[in-house]
Amino acid sequence: MSDSNATTPTLRPPTAKVPLFSLGRVWTIAASTVTQLVRMKTFYFLLAFALVVVAVGNFNIPTTPAKELSMIKKVSFGTMDLFAWLFAIVSTALLIPRDLEDRTLYTILSKPVRRIEYLVGKLGGVLFVVGVSLLAMYAICAVMIYAREINFVGAEFEAMKADSSYTQEEIAEQLTLIQKQGLRAELGIAVLASFLKASVVAAVTIFLSTFASSSLFTIIVSVLLFLIGHAHTMATNFWLHQSDSNLFVQMLVKVIKILIPNYQLFSFSEGVVQGEAINYAVVSQMGMLTGGYLIVFLLLSLLVFVDKEF
Amino acid sequence: MKTILQKCPRLVLVIAGLALFGFIREPIEDRLRVRLVEEKLLLPPPGQTAMEQMSQSALMGTLGGLRSLVAVFLTLEAYEHFSNKDWEQLSQTYAVITNLEPNDEEHWVTWIWHIGINATANMEIDDRLPEFERKRRFFAYALEAVDIAERGIKQNPESATIRMQLAEVYREKLKDNCATSRVYGDTIGLPDALPFVERFHGYFMARCEGKEQEAYDYLSGLYRESERNHLPTLIVEIKKLEKFLNIPIPQRIPDADPDKRPQKSNRKKPAPNELPGGLIIP
Repeated sequence: MSDSNATTPTLRPPTAKVPLFSLGRVWTIAASTVTQLVRMKTFYFLLAFALVVVAVGNFNIPTTPAKELSMIKKVSFGTMDLFAWLFAIVSTALLIPRDLEDRTLYTILSKPVRRIEYLVGKLGGVLFVVGVSLLAMYAICAVMIYAREINFVGAEFEAMKADSSYTQEEIAEQLTLIQKQGLRAELGIAVLASFLKASVVAAVTIFLSTFASSSLFTIIVSVLLFLIGHAHTMATNFWLHQSDSNLFVQMLVKVIKILIPNYQLFSFSEGVVQGEAINYAVVSQMGMLTGGYLIVFLLLSLLVFVDKEF
Repeated sequence: MKTILQKCPRLVLVIAGLALFGFIREPIEDRLRVRLVEEKLLLPPPGQTAMEQMSQSALMGTLGGLRSLVAVFLTLEAYEHFSNKDWEQLSQTYAVITNLEPNDEEHWVTWIWHIGINATANMEIDDRLPEFERKRRFFAYALEAVDIAERGIKQNPESATIRMQLAEVYREKLKDNCATSRVYGDTIGLPDALPFVERFHGYFMARCEGKEQEAYDYLSGLYRESERNHLPTLIVEIKKLEKFLNIPIPQRIPDADPDKRPQKSNRKKPAPNELPGGLIIP
C-alpha cells in the first residue's frame, strides 16, 4: 500500500470564527459550577447559621434592649462574614481539582472554550453561590432582628407608659434608641462588605488552585494568607514597635504588604453593624478595589493556567 | 509579548505581576484605611496591651477579622465573671473588649456599671471580708470606675451615656455632688444627651458647697426659660436655695413648695348641726 493512494481527509473549515471571549460560554460554565456546588449540599450550612442566630437571639443577659439587639447583629453578621469567606475558600479550592478528577476539565478544554472563560465562569459561579447564601443568611437574621425589635419596642413602650414619670418625649427617645440598633436598610451594606471580602478571597484562591497540587494545599495556604492579610496592620505596628523600626523589619513588612492582599480593609461591615453613618463614596471605592483584585488575580491565574498540561 | 511569555519562567512573571499590583494598590489601600477608620467604619488596630491580654482563641478571632464576634463572646465570658463576683477578671475581660471595640459606648458603660455600681455594692455586703478591707476595696472600685470612664470619654468624646454612668458613680457611690454636677454639666448639648441632664446639673450644683448662688441663678434661669421646667423637684430646689440665700420675698418664685402643700384631711367636714363628739342637734 503506497502513501500516494491514501486519501488524506480534508479538514472542514470552521463554520464561524470562534470569538476571543464569549459571555455565553462563561455563563454556561458559571451555571454548571452553581449546579455542581448545589449538588455538594453546600446550602446545608444555612441550617447551622439559622441555629446560631436563634441561639444568640435568645441570650438572657441582663442588659438593655439596644445592647441585646446590637449583640444579635454582631454575632449574626460576624458569622455571616465567617461563612462567606470560608465558603469562598473551600468551594473555589475544590472546583478545579474536582473537574480534573471527574475529567470534566478535559471535555471542557477540548471544546472551543478559552481558559480565561473557564476561570471567569468558575469564579462567577462561586460568587453567585456566595451572594445567594449571603442574601439567604441576611433574610434569616433580618427576621430575627425584626422580631426582637418589635418585641423590645412593645415591652419598653408598655413599661414606660405604665410608669407615669416618663414624658412622651422621653418614651419616644428611648424607643428611637432601640430602633437605631434594629433592622435598618444600611445593614445591606454590611452584607455587601462581606461579599466584597469573599470575592477577593475567592479570586486569590482560584489563583492558588491553578498551581496547587491538591485542594488541601490550596485551602491551607488560602486560610493562612487570609489570616496574614487580616493581621497586616496590627502586625506592622507591633513589629515596628518591637524592633525600633529596624530596616530589615521595615522591608519585610513592605514585602508582605505588597504581596498579600489587605483583607482587613474589607471588614468595614463591623462599623455598619454598629450603626455608624455610611460614606457611599468610600464604599464605591472599595467596590472598585475589589474589581481590581478580581481582574489582577484572574490574569495571574491565567498566566499559570494558560499552557498548563493536563 | 508572546516571546516574553515563552522565555520568562512563569513564577517570575507571577511574582512581578503581584509586586506591580502591590505597589499600585498599597498607597490606595493606606488612604482608604485611614478614611474608613475616620468614618468609624473600620476599627483601629487593638492596642498592644490588649494583644498581650488576649487568649489564643480571641487573638485568632481578631486576626481572622472577627473582632465584633470575639467581643460578643468575651461579653458572655464577662457575664460569667459577674455571676461569680470575680471583679478582677471581669475588669480584665472588659479591658480586652473595649480594646477590640473602642468605639462601642455600651461596652464602656457596662464596664463602669459593673465596677462602679455592682462591685462597690458587693463590697458593702460581702461578709467574707473584714470591714476595713471592704471599705478600701469599695473606694478602689469606685475610683477605678472613674478612671475607666475617663478613658472611655477620651475614646468617645461625644458620648453622653458614658458621662451619665460616671455621674451615677459619683452620685450614688462617692457622694460627690460637685463632681456629679460637673459631669452632668459636661453632658449638656452632646448628641445623645437626655433632657433631664440640664436639671440634674443644677440640682447637684445646689448641693455643692460654695456653689449655691451659681446654682440658684442657673435653676431660676431654667424655671424662667419654660413652663415645662416647672417640675416639683426644680421648685423644691429653688425654694431651698431661696431660703438659704435669703432671697427677698418679691423676687422668689410664686409656686407653693410642693413638699409643704396642705394635706387634705380625711375627716369629714362637720355638719352645721353637729356638736363635738358627734352629737346632732335635731
